[in-house]
Amino acid sequence: MPAIRNKVRELRAMKEITQQELADRIGVTRQTVIAIEQDKYSPSLETAFKVAGVLGVSIEQCFQYDPKGKR
Amino acid sequence: MATGLSYREKSLYASLAAELVVYGAYFFFHQENTVNKVAGLIAGIIVLQVILQLLISAFTRNRVTDERDQLIQLRGYRAGYLTFTILMVLGLSMLWFHSTVGNMPLDDKRMGLHFLSVFFGMLVIADITKTATQIVSYRRAL
Repeated sequence: MPAIRNKVRELRAMKEITQQELADRIGVTRQTVIAIEQDKYSPSLETAFKVAGVLGVSIEQCFQYDPKGKR
Repeated sequence: MATGLSYREKSLYASLAAELVVYGAYFFFHQENTVNKVAGLIAGIIVLQVILQLLISAFTRNRVTDERDQLIQLRGYRAGYLTFTILMVLGLSMLWFHSTVGNMPLDDKRMGLHFLSVFFGMLVIADITKTATQIVSYRRAL
């Protein structure tokens, strides 16, 4: 399990936002959104706040830290 | 899931293709090389890279680069630097060994060109390692 997990895919689906729309609004590529959703890339704090902001949730609701997870 | 290729990824594939074509030609015709050919090669790779990058820019609508691109770029440069350092140490060790223990004819006319080729080869391997590391990092969705 990765150290930082997220619920971006679920929250994005609830808001009916496409990966490209989310990417455009936070200023990253669609490939980065895909990598975040697959828990293969942990974004910077700034990007994490932007993602949470676009999805309308707090950062804790969007990203979870597991100290026992693989870094 | 098909993720497509970002602008940076397309650029990297183009760079790798240009490096393999130009450097491949250089080392394939190694025996016929001269210092002028090395200079021509460097000019060739620059021109080829510029043409390929212009084509990619022209045919890519979304040219956004982000923090992940920068991270992958740094990872590539680190791999390239490590490769170059290791090859340099090995190369200098071999040079020292051959000049002290072996009987390397250092006064040979073509020796300078051979040295140039060896060091240029190290640079090429490091450069290809850098690009390949970046491509692998993208494919593994770092």
